[in-house]
Amino acid sequence: MIKRRLIGSLGVATATTILMVVSFTSAPLEGQAPGATPWGHSNLEGIWLDVYATPFERAPELGEREFATAEERTARDQARMVNPGRNERSQSAGQDVAGAYNAVFTSARPAGPRTSLVVDPPNGRIPALTEEAQRQADAEQEWRLMLLRNTETCQSAAPGCNGGEFGPPSPSRFDVSPFYNTSRMNRHFGPEDQSLGDRCMLGRTPDFNGFRRIVQGQESIAIGYDTGQGQGFQRVVYLSGTHPVTQIHLRHGDSRGRWEGDTLTIETSNFSPKFPFRGSGANRTLIERYTRLDADTLEYEMTIEDPTVWVAPWTVRQELKRQDDMQNRIYYEPRCHEGNYGLPALLIGARMDEQEFQAGRGPDPFSMDTATCVTGLPE
Amino acid sequence: MRARHVLGIVVAVAGLSVWLAGTTSPVEAHHAFAAEFDAGLPVEFSGPVTKVEWINPHVWIHIDVTKDDGTVENWAFEGGTPNVLFRRGFTRRSLLPGTEISVDGYQAKDRTNRANGRDITFADGTKLFLGSSGTGAPYELARPGVDTADPAR
Amino acid sequence: MTTMTGWFRGSTIVTAVVAAAVGAVVSVSVTGRAGQGQGREQTTRPAQTPDGRPNFNGVWQANNEAHWDLEAHDARAGMVMQQGVYPYEFAQVPAAPVVALGAAAGVPGSLGVVGGDGRIPYTPEALRIKQENAEHWIDRDPELKCYQPGIPRAMYMPYPFQIVQGTDKIHMTFGFSNAARVIHLDAVELPPDYTYMGHSVGRWEEDTLVVEVTEFNGKTWFDRAGNFHGEGLRLTERFSPMTPDAIWYEVTATDPGTFTQPWTIEMPLYRRLEPSATVLDYPCIEFAEEFMYGHLRREQLVERWEGETMIVDITRKIPPGDALHDWYRR
Repeated sequence: MIKRRLIGSLGVATATTILMVVSFTSAPLEGQAPGATPWGHSNLEGIWLDVYATPFERAPELGEREFATAEERTARDQARMVNPGRNERSQSAGQDVAGAYNAVFTSARPAGPRTSLVVDPPNGRIPALTEEAQRQADAEQEWRLMLLRNTETCQSAAPGCNGGEFGPPSPSRFDVSPFYNTSRMNRHFGPEDQSLGDRCMLGRTPDFNGFRRIVQGQESIAIGYDTGQGQGFQRVVYLSGTHPVTQIHLRHGDSRGRWEGDTLTIETSNFSPKFPFRGSGANRTLIERYTRLDADTLEYEMTIEDPTVWVAPWTVRQELKRQDDMQNRIYYEPRCHEGNYGLPALLIGARMDEQEFQAGRGPDPFSMDTATCVTGLPE
Repeated sequence: MRARHVLGIVVAVAGLSVWLAGTTSPVEAHHAFAAEFDAGLPVEFSGPVTKVEWINPHVWIHIDVTKDDGTVENWAFEGGTPNVLFRRGFTRRSLLPGTEISVDGYQAKDRTNRANGRDITFADGTKLFLGSSGTGAPYELARPGVDTADPAR
Repeated sequence: MTTMTGWFRGSTIVTAVVAAAVGAVVSVSVTGRAGQGQGREQTTRPAQTPDGRPNFNGVWQANNEAHWDLEAHDARAGMVMQQGVYPYEFAQVPAAPVVALGAAAGVPGSLGVVGGDGRIPYTPEALRIKQENAEHWIDRDPELKCYQPGIPRAMYMPYPFQIVQGTDKIHMTFGFSNAARVIHLDAVELPPDYTYMGHSVGRWEEDTLVVEVTEFNGKTWFDRAGNFHGEGLRLTERFSPMTPDAIWYEVTATDPGTFTQPWTIEMPLYRRLEPSATVLDYPCIEFAEEFMYGHLRREQLVERWEGETMIVDITRKIPPGDALHDWYRR
């Protein structure tokens, strides 16, 4: 049996060797240039980045227009040159603390040719939530607003309190949240009350914003993401095999890829409910497609489906630009958890606030907004 | 005072809204600094850098602060992510021990010698890490006063 | 030629990977046995990549006791031990953190993976630190906090890892906390700061992948026995194919601040041969939160914390129906 297998393989190998000799000698060995890898797949290797700041969803007034005019792009860039938010000191100390650090630590990308990342539905806006998902989203929002009820954010009707109201602290404020929390809330009883970002677990699939380093093998492809503030992660796309059974849940899902001509198509399932993406947990499935358009451009398209959350699937498209590994000095090691002094520090701060309140020396912690950065936009 | 306060929020929100609307950054970009640091404890110090921790999610810069009575305390100030700086060409050699800096921020609620580095500058007032070192990150917008030394508009 | 075409046409084998290079004709990894049961089906895979290199693609895992202790050691009663009745070291008994786990909490013995006389050549000062590390393992080992394990430790932890062999990079993804390393086969700049997982630059010497690893931050350990190093650690790794499914992995370590001379570890790395072998994530950042921050909860889950010291009451109840205990209760 084994002998027959070997001979059979020999036959196939010989026939294909003739073909391979041709591509073996014609493809550059170091694989830097576009074209084929030595094993005949389209070469997607490199560090790739969407270099533009493109709104996730399209402004409704733009209708079905997928691309922006030059004037629109210039206007958006001009607006960001003025008053770059975090660089300004605030008049109120509370806002100033929440401003955290000045804007040199932030990166602004120029406006790009697209009006939105979402390209399907054709209006560039994601489909409606299912009734159940809407109910859950409302319940979560209600919970977060409940915790802000006694704060100045609500008293002054700041945007962070939209949909909420000012009042005495709610009797529900000591309850366990009625959902698995992954975002920031105005309470710090323990790590579970913190956002995934605060816990250094923010990196999620899909990710559109970060750097992607693609290392491409004959049997599998690694995509290393550098996103957020050191919230990096790795995905492995297997070019063979099958998804694990459904009771396996993985943070970035399980990815199986295949080549359709020059396009790499990746199907990902087996996601974990603990790392949701826009409210979609274990039931999401992705189909991603990578196509190399030229030496510097990689087209990326992602269709996501979760019938328990959205009434229809939706699609994102991006053009990623190749970044210079040598020059850019991108530092790929996340080391976020290892340097997360801030998480114990803020838990300590919360315990001290409680102690001060118990001793009659400080305000009720629930009357202080330590979640929405006071300006109302969670940062 | 109340009216100005509200206006301040609106202006800040407008600025941030435009900025955020134009980006695809994840909404949770940094810690709840308001939970960690006390708005009632502003601090302002100058001194030589003793150590820099180029870590995520935030850089920590340690400086020796000489108090009025001559004693020296070591303080740590929390900045933003070093990854943005690294892509602009900064490295651990870009801020060496001994460099004199000034920091303006708010002390930690637990009263230890830690604060958020709301404004970190060199002795002459130039912000640290302004612009880029070397080739920079070519894809970025060059915001005046943030990425370049040009005065902010 | 006609005969070959006949073979080709008559072949019932579908070579899964189109690129069967010249090298594949010479040595093929035949890891499955056709017709002997579904679980053992495995497509043949080339032992070389089309550019003539050993094929290291796949899911790999060390299969030894190195992650407990690189040096040769007897089996130990507990991961954490205390003096028992006798003062001899070999008569220590499991201590509180593990005693309720009985025989599941011990450490298997090992012939060791350290070359030469089997001992890591510490300086006297470093040896003292190593011994303290071993004594205070649960307080000090960065693995328990789910910190990035560093190299070479990630290579022999008891979790599988994926090797993706690209054209100018080799990427490894480790199951432990999704850690990773990239081995650069092309020219790159050094990282802007020191690292946990090192900066790896590789080259081929015949069939051996030789990797120089530098720029360590000195915060990682080699194993669970307290073996450690400083910032000055430099490694030379050699990956040599033993068979298409086994790699001989050799590491030479130098760190003049910690060791009196270079020293070496060697072990096989084995390919995971099951169909659809996949690296599953061991997402321990979350698992370690109680360990690291439990004392800062508003209401503590663990009874009890005194400041940052964890004092746990262990309750182990012997259930009814346990044959041994029932025997003498009668």
